[in-house]
This record gives sequence, C-alpha cells and structure tokens, in this order.
Amino acid sequence: MSAPETVLSTTGVSIRFGGVQALSEVDLRADRWEIVGIIGPNGAGKTTLFNCITGFYAATSGRVRFKGEDVTDLPVHQRAARGMGRTFQNVGLVKGSTVGENLKSAQHLQTRYGALGALFGSTRASEVEREATERARAILDLVHLGHLWDTRIAGLPYGIQKRLEIAAVLATDPELLLLDEPGSGLGPEEADELGDFLLDIRERFQLTIVLIDHHVPLVTRISDYMYCLNLGQVLCEGQPEDVRNHPDVVRAYLGIDPDAEVA
Amino acid sequence: MSATDVTRTDLPVVDVTPTDDEAPSTEGPTVAGRVARGLAWLALVWVLLCYPGNVLSPFDVPAFDANRMSEAVIFAIIGLSLNVLIGYAGQVSLGHQAFVGIGAFTSAYVVTDLTQEVVLGVLVAALVGAAQAVLLGLVSLRLTGLYFALVTLVYGVMAQQSIFAIESFTGGTAGKIAPRPTGFESDFRYYYFSLIGLALVLLVDWRMLRTKGGRALLALRENPRVAQTWGIDTKAYTLFAFGVSGLFAGLGGGLLAHRDLQVVANPFDFNLALVFVLMTTIGGLRNRLGVVLGSAFFAFLRNGYLVEKLKLEEGIGPIPGPLGAIDMSPEFAPLVFGPILLLLVLTRLPGGFGQLARPFQEWLAGRRFRWIPADDEVVVNDVRA
Repeated sequence: MSAPETVLSTTGVSIRFGGVQALSEVDLRADRWEIVGIIGPNGAGKTTLFNCITGFYAATSGRVRFKGEDVTDLPVHQRAARGMGRTFQNVGLVKGSTVGENLKSAQHLQTRYGALGALFGSTRASEVEREATERARAILDLVHLGHLWDTRIAGLPYGIQKRLEIAAVLATDPELLLLDEPGSGLGPEEADELGDFLLDIRERFQLTIVLIDHHVPLVTRISDYMYCLNLGQVLCEGQPEDVRNHPDVVRAYLGIDPDAEVA
Repeated sequence: MSATDVTRTDLPVVDVTPTDDEAPSTEGPTVAGRVARGLAWLALVWVLLCYPGNVLSPFDVPAFDANRMSEAVIFAIIGLSLNVLIGYAGQVSLGHQAFVGIGAFTSAYVVTDLTQEVVLGVLVAALVGAAQAVLLGLVSLRLTGLYFALVTLVYGVMAQQSIFAIESFTGGTAGKIAPRPTGFESDFRYYYFSLIGLALVLLVDWRMLRTKGGRALLALRENPRVAQTWGIDTKAYTLFAFGVSGLFAGLGGGLLAHRDLQVVANPFDFNLALVFVLMTTIGGLRNRLGVVLGSAFFAFLRNGYLVEKLKLEEGIGPIPGPLGAIDMSPEFAPLVFGPILLLLVLTRLPGGFGQLARPFQEWLAGRRFRWIPADDEVVVNDVRA
C-alpha cells in the first residue's frame, strides 16, 4: 500500500459556548482504513468534537477536512452525502418507525428517482425501492437481527437499538464512521463482541472509524491510534497502549498522581 | 458496498420475539369469509358511489344532501392537507382556512374573470396554495412549535383582512361567482367531481409515503438530527411538506368554491381553521382513513347533516332535557363535540379514531379480525416544541 491517505483531519478546532471553552485547538487525524480511538473523562469535549466534525456545531475557529476537501462550512446532510456517518450517544434512530423503515430511510442518498417517478411508480422507482429493501435486509442479517424487520424500534431493548443504529448508519454507505459510545451499557463480554464486529465491518465496508468510548480496554484493543481528550484539549496521542498508560491520562481519569507513593 | 455475502456468525442471535405473538395463519380466509368480505366491500362501494348519486339505490337523497356530501369529501381533502403538515412534518397550522380560502378565490377568479375551464381553475388554485404554503414554510425554518403556530394564526387572520378584501380578486362582500364544470353541473354530479379530487389526493399521499420523500419526512419529524446524518436535507423536505400540504389545501379550496357556486370571504375565519385542526387530529394523524372519516364527520356536523339526521336539536339520543337545551346549531356542534372527542383522543386513543377502524381495514384486506389494543401506536411527541 502506498502512503496512507488522510480521510479526516481537524486543525486547530476550537469552540466556545458563552464563557466555556469547550474545545481548544484540537488537531486530529484519521487515515484510511484506520480505527482511531478517542477516550477521556466525562465533559472532555469528545461529543462536542464529533458535533464539530459532522457539522452540528460551527467551530469558532479551525478547519475540518474530509477526503482532502475543506468541509468546515458545509451543513450536516452534505457532509453525510460525502460519506460521513455517525451514531449518537442516545440511540439515533426514528423510534416510532419499524426497523425496516429505518434502514430504508437511512439509504436516502442512494435511493435516487424523481418525484414523478415516485408518484406514478415508474419501473426505475420500483427497481430502486426493491434494491433498497434488499440492501436493508442484507445489512440487518449482518447484525443478526433480520427477524425484527417489522418491529417498531421503540419497544426494543437498548442493546438491540444500539446495534440497529450501527446497521442504519452502515446503510448510508459511509466511508468514515464516527461512533459515539457504541459500547455504553455493554458488559465486558459484549464489549469484546462489539470490538470484533467493528473490526469485521471495517473490512467488509472498507471503513475508516473514529470511536469514542469509555470502555478503555475495548478502545485500546481495536484502535490503531488513540487520542485522550481532557478539558477540551488533546491531552496526549499515540499508540493505544502508550496513551492508556500515560501518566497524564491516568491522572485525568483517576484524579491522582500515579507516580506518588501510596502511603 | 457488498453486504450480501454474510458469513459471520459469532454475534449471538438475540432472542427478541416479534411483537406479533399470534402466528399469522398461512391459509387465506374461508369461503364464508370471502363472501362476507365481498359483501362488505360491495356495501362500502355502494355507500361511496351509489347512495349519494341515487344510482342503484332505493333511497331518494335530495340534492341538498348530495351537496353536503360533496362538502364532506372536500373536507377530507383539507384534512389530508393538514395531515401532511402536522402528521408528517410535525408543524401545526392554525391558518389553513386562508390556504383554502385563497384557493377558492383563485379558482373562482380564473374561471369567472379569465374565463377558463373549471379544471384549470382548480389546478391553478392548487399551485397557488402550494406557493403560499412554501412561503410560510420558509418562516417555519426559523420558528417551530408554539411560535410558528402563532405565525400561522396571524397569517390566517391577516389574509382574511387583506387578501380577501381585494375587491378585484374576491368581488368584495358580494363575493365571486364560481360556476360548476361542464358535465358536473348538478349537485349529484359535482359530488363525483369532488370524489375524483379526493382520489387524486389519496394517490399522491399514498405514493409519497411509500417512497423516499415520505420516509424522509417521517424521519425528520421525529428526529431531525438523525435525519441529517442520513443525508436528508431537512430544510428542503420541510418546504416540500409545506408545498404538498398547500397543494392539497388549494385544491380543496377550489373544489369548495365551485360547490358553493359563489365564494364569499366570511366563512374562512379562524373558527374554520380550528375545525380543520380538530378533525385531522381526532381522525388520527398519519392515518389516511382516520383523517378522511374524521374530516367527513366534522363536515357533516358543521353543515347540519348529522344534527338533522340524528335529531340532535331535540337532545342527544334518549336524553332530552338539559342536553337538548344546548344550542346544537350546526355552527356550534363542532365546537361542542370537538373538545369532547379531542379529550378522548388525548386520553384513550393516541392514534386518533382511525385507530378503531384498523381492525376492520385488516379484515377487509383478507386478514383475521383482531382487536388491536388502543395503546399499540402511542404517538405523543407529535408537534415539535
């Protein structure tokens, strides 16, 4: 493989909310095929960073580049159209609709036909609809939830919803996947399974993944590169094991000095 | 993307039984069932197509009542218009009487002053309705919930005071003549003309919901943030919903004008806007049949058909006395029944009264008759705050 291509980069991204400096000068990079982990204590600005990357927040300063293009001023849906997919901490699905409807809605950008075609049910429109249904079913089978096609999201357990959310974002056909705490609420074994699953979909869908999670062992295991954020700044970055054991990181998480002698 | 070659099996298959615990029987209905369904369909078609026009019917419906039925059909169109806005896009409109009124005057103007065909007049009315709705939709991109509802309210009142007062457009207090289309002059025939309008609206609504536009609307109503990450341009689709809603409302207005033969500004007041919202919500948001039935019910309440047939002015049912003393004039009937029914919807039937029709719909479609509990489809977060 030639020199890795940078898929996502932020340079000097800062954002202020009133008197609070939520992010200051955050530089982050994710190369193609990489899994980049972001850890950090609550309130470190991890989700805020995602919101700046995906366009929900306009950064006060700094640039966001995606696949070589400056996307800082683009609205959310246009970034999505360029291949950015993301999940949310509180499950990002349309809960009043069924699983199947969600997975078809998520393919909004790939379902291409005109309004008249839709109105009169042209062959093209029905063909595209049929393809969307097939793709949705295939992705649903991939997460082993094919039997839930007609089930409303609202009644499903949280863990299932989280998995469906990833299925839905895969249906958008992304190149970059931004996952906001996919492992929340999972036990150690389930987190392990999630890790395998993420490694698998990276391969299957040719993805670059940026992953926020509090489950540090999970992030450490599957990441190729890791960042630790604290108080809106990059505390340290590097190889996952190094970052995990970095004294600053331990201090940020535990609030103690690891070098200090324990009395 | 190639997701079809699924080989992986190490994720556990989670045991979530589908909500439908009764295994759907693979056999079709029995012979008796088929006959019963056939008869039911026949009866429905007869009520809809034969009874109002005195075709193959032992009854003799007076022209006056046929006219009232046309109004019910047109109200159904207006209800479906509001359903697009409230039910699909999550935006409330308290100024829909203005959309309808402007549609009515536009069609009358095109036919009377520009001497065009009625069909053209009604189509222009629909387009003008769409245009004004999109303009109002632009405001909704900045304001939502209560604040936007207030804007629509003000828009409705303003239209009444300004646009409806332009004499060359509306004919002033005398109103504007709106003749019937050729071939549909009688009250009976005009009923069928209105019915064609309703069929078109139902077709558009049905196709929209089955395709990407409808899915995008449902997603953005419930979760605009997620819709955006799926690449849905929420602003464009909000305007799209307004356009479709305005299209239906304008069409309804045009049809109403030619039903009445003459359009005057008076009836298009805030009272009417309230009835529109009530009939749509009580019928059942996102429930096509519910909206149609709810709208027809309120049309019949308003135009006195129900009051007359059920003898409401003598009291409700076997109860004379105090209830009978309530002024049940057609104008007030919706405002008496509306709140009562709304209360029922809010507490017992979150999916509207159309929910009660669901089991019958299923049965007519050839499935088993199964009573679905009312809380099957809880819809609470309808209008975005």
